[in-house]
Amino acid sequence: MRSEITTSRLAIVLQSAATALLFAVAPMSMAGTIAGSDHDFSGINPDGQICVNCHTPHNADTSVATAPLWNHDVTSATFTLYSSPTMNAIPGQPSGSSKLCLSCHDGTVAVDSFGGRTGSVFIQPTDSHYIGTDLSNDHPISITYDSALATADPGLNDPAVTTVTIGQGGDKTNTGTVSELMLPADQVQCSSCHDVHNNFVPPGAKDLLRVTVANSQLCFTCHNK
Amino acid sequence: MNKGLVIVILAMVCAAGTAQADTILSSKHNLSVSGPGTVIAAQETEVCVFCHTAHNASPAAPLWNRASPGQAYLPYSSSTAKASPGQPTGSSLLCLSCHDGTIALGQVLNRATEITMAGGVTFMPPGDGLIGTDLRNDHPISFAYTSALAALNGELVDPGVLRPQIRLDANGELQCTSCHDAHDDRYGHFLVWPNTRSQLCVECHRKNGWDLSPHNLSTAGWNQQAPDPWPRSEETTVMDNACGNCHLPHSAVGGPRLLTHAAEEQVCSACHNGHVASQDVMAEFSKFSSHPIFDTTLAHDPAEPAAVDDRHVECADCHEPHAATAGADPVQGVLKGARGIDLAGAEVDPIRNGYEVCFRCHADTASNLSNSAPRQHSQFNTRLEFQPGNPSFHPVAAAGRNPDVPSLISPLTTASTIACTDCHNSDASSVAGGTGPDGPHGSAFEPILARQYVTLDNNPESASAYALCYGCHSRSSILADQSFKKHNEHVVKKKAPCNVCHDPHGVSATQGTSQNNTHLINFDISVVQPNNKGLRRFVDKGRFTGSCDLLCHGENHDNKSY
Repeated sequence: MRSEITTSRLAIVLQSAATALLFAVAPMSMAGTIAGSDHDFSGINPDGQICVNCHTPHNADTSVATAPLWNHDVTSATFTLYSSPTMNAIPGQPSGSSKLCLSCHDGTVAVDSFGGRTGSVFIQPTDSHYIGTDLSNDHPISITYDSALATADPGLNDPAVTTVTIGQGGDKTNTGTVSELMLPADQVQCSSCHDVHNNFVPPGAKDLLRVTVANSQLCFTCHNK
Repeated sequence: MNKGLVIVILAMVCAAGTAQADTILSSKHNLSVSGPGTVIAAQETEVCVFCHTAHNASPAAPLWNRASPGQAYLPYSSSTAKASPGQPTGSSLLCLSCHDGTIALGQVLNRATEITMAGGVTFMPPGDGLIGTDLRNDHPISFAYTSALAALNGELVDPGVLRPQIRLDANGELQCTSCHDAHDDRYGHFLVWPNTRSQLCVECHRKNGWDLSPHNLSTAGWNQQAPDPWPRSEETTVMDNACGNCHLPHSAVGGPRLLTHAAEEQVCSACHNGHVASQDVMAEFSKFSSHPIFDTTLAHDPAEPAAVDDRHVECADCHEPHAATAGADPVQGVLKGARGIDLAGAEVDPIRNGYEVCFRCHADTASNLSNSAPRQHSQFNTRLEFQPGNPSFHPVAAAGRNPDVPSLISPLTTASTIACTDCHNSDASSVAGGTGPDGPHGSAFEPILARQYVTLDNNPESASAYALCYGCHSRSSILADQSFKKHNEHVVKKKAPCNVCHDPHGVSATQGTSQNNTHLINFDISVVQPNNKGLRRFVDKGRFTGSCDLLCHGENHDNKSY
């Protein structure tokens, strides 16, 4: 009897703590939308449009295969790739959606170069969002990350069976395997870690990251260290 | 219902704990606030950030998030190392960006402000983790470990057959990461392979004789009497400490050999003081006559010539600790693997005869010792005293020349040979009938003699006065004049010690003659003077016969025959 009361009290304490933690974090979070996020371009477009820098409903650029109704000039830079003697994967030139991201973040194409216009607002090298064309000091992208790679490198989790929850604690959240939710066509891309539209972003997360970096949870999603 | 919830929560906590085993999260390299060590952040929850960043890393690989330290290191070097490490390179610099203590732990590239560590810690605090910029007391790093190096060294495994866990970098260089995996602490000290019994060390280091060495095989433990022989080890036996009995891979205390103590004899005494090894050898060195190992520190250099000109003696001058065993024959036992000087004066490695170790110092070099008595034929070179071509010599290097030695105690015969240690040994040794440590480490009797050997003139004869001689030469035979017919008169009545007429080592062929210097006759000239004709000599006239011309104890000997 005595112990039952004690355990009940413990449960209440734990529940209270969890609730307090939730409320402590919640005020820092934005609503899970692009509006108001770093990628809300309404402020630099005279007509206040948000999406137009990247997308158009008609006459989109189809030169990049996976580009969704693409409206922005696409970078033509040749990138210096990441390499490491201990890496099993072999990065190629940025492909897929990563090339779209780099079309602003490599600093070679203006943020406002879209819809046939030549813009003038470049991401500057001094900006923390600047990636440049030298990717040798950035996490490798456009690499195949599948079960075979995880077998070759025991420092990686098997993406086909490892589960991840993205946007946890936000108004949009999803749980599935790393392969399903983070690896388009089994490739690590910018979008593996970042949500360009600020949808599946946990409350309080920086840099539009899809999984919190508290306790380096995002890193450990893939890296088994 | 609440009880059920608690069980669910506890189960989740336990599951999470299990999942973290053997990951960086449960290791001291988790510097985040959740880390298990004492050096952790005050609030920072990110784990990887202390070393890695996803963007704008430097150096680029492996996405490094820390500044590179300078090039102000003092690299390891030793007279026997075949590799010549320079400034640290590659991944070792990454490790040193925390472990050299020059860059704040929380100073990372992708944060504008330094991450605050708990407890006021800024830099790597003193302890096992602080390597510093002086790498002279650390295992060498950042050198190419090549097949050529292994061949040159002779006691290194070819790098081509290293266990896959032991990795050289892309340039074939040995780095911190060859022994350590910063992300995996399953074996302790972030080692890539368990090191009980020095399993990791011997993956590279194959010391001659090590397989049979008690330093590798002994299960002896510590008797718990201070000081602790293994203060920086978790292992509790000689066998399990193995290399670690004497060496430390980092922040070693003693000299260029990465030793556990500054004074090399302290390395040995940590165990050979009776607290681990059964015999207290170290106490021997405090006896009246001893090899002066305490007089010098780090004087022994394994790269020095076998013939020691720079006078010193350290344990390692006689013993090769990697190869020595407890075998009954010293050459295959305590002296196994030692270097020496052979009877012809040439270097031998390893020795084939015990006396070859003694000849390192007591033969041709400037460091040899003067005779204890002034003699007709003064000879400092012990090697020359024992040559089988000499007119006489104690049978160390070969059986003796004299076929008639009635005093010899069985099983000794004139065909027998003896060792230096049959005379020069501890007064507690088995040679002296004791149970103490064998070997010429020290003795109450000078010069490191197993038994008493009085050399002062006018000494009353007794069994103990010349116990050393009487150990092999029967006192009753000597005093019964079974060989020299005047032994009794000289030794008992005239109280002349053996040493006045006999030179115990031998008389060299370059000085003595087969007419005058048989039977180890080489007079102590402080006692034996020339006679009235100016002669001071013994003349051998055959079996048990001879004559003397000399003046001794006031007695003029003029062709005095027996």
